[in-house]
Amino acid sequence: MVYNRMAVLRAERQVSRKDLADEVGVHPQTIGYLERGEYSPSLALALRIARFFGLPVEAVFSLEPLPPLSETVYGRTG
Amino acid sequence: MTDRPATSERSYLARTYDDDRFAWTRSKRVRRRLVVAEAVLISALVVLTIAAAVVGADRGWLAWPWSIALLGFVPIHSFLNLGIRGLYDRSERTLDEHQRRLRDESYIAVRWPATFVTLAAVLAVFAASLMGDTARGLMAGFLLWFGASLLPYWHLAWMLPDED
Repeated sequence: MVYNRMAVLRAERQVSRKDLADEVGVHPQTIGYLERGEYSPSLALALRIARFFGLPVEAVFSLEPLPPLSETVYGRTG
Repeated sequence: MTDRPATSERSYLARTYDDDRFAWTRSKRVRRRLVVAEAVLISALVVLTIAAAVVGADRGWLAWPWSIALLGFVPIHSFLNLGIRGLYDRSERTLDEHQRRLRDESYIAVRWPATFVTLAAVLAVFAASLMGDTARGLMAGFLLWFGASLLPYWHLAWMLPDED
């Protein structure tokens, strides 16, 4: 299983599911499957999604459950 | 390697399958009802055709059930296809990687049942020709072969979760 932060990043940047889907070339429903963890993306799709958010792929996807962003940010600035 | 997304080419057919006017066909409840309706329709026609062959009914007798079934099948299958966004009918280039995976998984899941039903179709034709009624054997065989080709649609429609 591949964990991801797509839903949080999308909400943070106020990007609709359809806008993200159009940018990375998948169906909007596929974004839903990815966000719910019901589908693990190909490497090419994961890279396109990471590029869309302007982040390294490991910041968006992980093989381990991702800690909450607030915890990550607090840890870095505290 | 191309960087063009799979769904960048939107055919007229693909746009139809994404039309929100047909969103009601994409609920699991509706899809499953359509699968049951289509399976009952095809099965009933197979049983009727075989029964007609066994009792030696007049060949014209089957014209009405077949005509009614065809009239019923067209809208049912159209709605079923809309419910699965036409994954088996659309051009490959209009599907994204997840849609291709869903399509392929259902196809693989029913490969053995589909093989058995197709074999039953061949046996039906063979048995009917031995009994001297090749025409009805061909009709039953056609229905079984046709039913086998519908199994991936039914599996996909049955298994797909509700969309959100």
